[in-house]
Amino acid sequence: MRLNDCDPGFKHEVAAEPGGEGIRACFACAACSARCPVGANRPDYDPRRLIRLTLLGRRDEVLSSPLIWLCSSCYTCGEVCPQQVRFTEVLTAIKNIAAREGHAPPSAKITAELLAKQGRLLEVTDFENDKRADLGLPPVEQRPGDFQAILGLKPAEGEAGEEPR
Amino acid sequence: MTNAQLDTPVLILGGGVAGLAAAVDLARRGVAATIIEREPRLGGRASQFCCKATEACARCGACRLGELLVQAAHLPQITIYTAALAVAAQPQGDGWRVELSPQPGGEIGPGPGRPLRERTTLNTQAVILAVGGEAFNPAGKTRFGHGRVDGVFSALELEAMLSQGALGPDGLAPAKVAFIQCVGSRDASLGRLWCSRVCCGYALRMGRVIRKLLPESQVTFFHMDVQDYGRAWEDELPELRKQMRFVRAMPGEVTAGDGRPEVTYALAGEQAIKEGFDLVVLSVGLGPPNGASALGELFGAAKDSDGFLTTDGGPAGVFVAGAAAGPRSLNESMVHGGLAASQAASRVASLTEARHG
Repeated sequence: MRLNDCDPGFKHEVAAEPGGEGIRACFACAACSARCPVGANRPDYDPRRLIRLTLLGRRDEVLSSPLIWLCSSCYTCGEVCPQQVRFTEVLTAIKNIAAREGHAPPSAKITAELLAKQGRLLEVTDFENDKRADLGLPPVEQRPGDFQAILGLKPAEGEAGEEPR
Repeated sequence: MTNAQLDTPVLILGGGVAGLAAAVDLARRGVAATIIEREPRLGGRASQFCCKATEACARCGACRLGELLVQAAHLPQITIYTAALAVAAQPQGDGWRVELSPQPGGEIGPGPGRPLRERTTLNTQAVILAVGGEAFNPAGKTRFGHGRVDGVFSALELEAMLSQGALGPDGLAPAKVAFIQCVGSRDASLGRLWCSRVCCGYALRMGRVIRKLLPESQVTFFHMDVQDYGRAWEDELPELRKQMRFVRAMPGEVTAGDGRPEVTYALAGEQAIKEGFDLVVLSVGLGPPNGASALGELFGAAKDSDGFLTTDGGPAGVFVAGAAAGPRSLNESMVHGGLAASQAASRVASLTEARHG
């Protein structure tokens, strides 16, 4: 590894992202790695290693790694961490940077498309609303407008236009 | 009913090594002192500690308690009450007026001092708070299994086992021993951010004692990093690294395995593994004394950001010594007791001068 290939600003970039602040506190004690259920099934997935790579400034290696998308968000790392690093949140910050730079995997794109189209991952059909009507509940509407705004497909609500139904 | 009355130049709360060292130091300066100890006998935490010498003295300080007890018993300037508690205190003139209450169960124990028999009012010119710190209760770190998994002990329990000779060829002979460091120290999830400063030293020294007692045994030291634990510690490390396995990882958990505890940990660049040990020792840290707030209020002593007692900017004539003021080894507590003694002696001398001058 050459130090010249490292980006010393990367850790600050991650820390500036919502949820990424915790990276400053890591002691590299590996309690997270000891308990991570993803790591138990994928030898190459190691929270401590991802944090060290980030702190070292291996920006391209981290952002383009398929490993960062494997976290199951079970929060076990956060439970055992003595430093309250909240690795799940740190990884979300890293994933946000990666997604902005076009590193999101196909599954993340499909998820975003479903949210843009439906406002939720599962499409609302007559089946759900008939069941709700039987129970005396109001129908659920698909309101994808907010997600379209988040995804930059339309202006945010209140700025312009009427929410599509 | 009127209380019994006592006058003493210096009142020392706590008869552990810090309080005893302060009393002995004061006596050498010709200043009389009264020690009150809430337990039936003197010695405090140090009375449970084992000698950590192997070929040579490990300078742990455990044996110096005996020396202090003998001196405290023989120096005529020192008065000792055991099973006694300060229940009220108020500034009075140049000093303090302190109400002492006898504690139940105060039978005469072995060693110097006699139990306080009745409520007593004591007038003093200076007060030394030497009540010690409190070891972390490892049950508070549930994932390490203390009290739940057989074979998991706190380091204090290991101290007692070693000092009673429970480990060795004729006793318990664990083939594999693990020390887990920083249990209750440097842990933001517990709100205990400080390094306890003594744990690396006691764990490595007890590990070395175990290796001496049981040369076939294997000792593993799970740590985040090794902290300074006294003079020449860096010179000792290379030899200790040969005797023990240093693993730079905090275990994720300790679970009940097949008849013995199993430790889950991840080495750098490797997948997490479970490894069985015969004995898992949790190196518990030092925290503020129980009741620090109440004691602080009694004598107007503040707490620092970690909850330890401090008299910085506090009332005149109140000093803190030993682990009550922050994590300290036995040797450091004795030196700190000496410092408090010199401060108290100066105060007594200046008050005496003012009265006679």
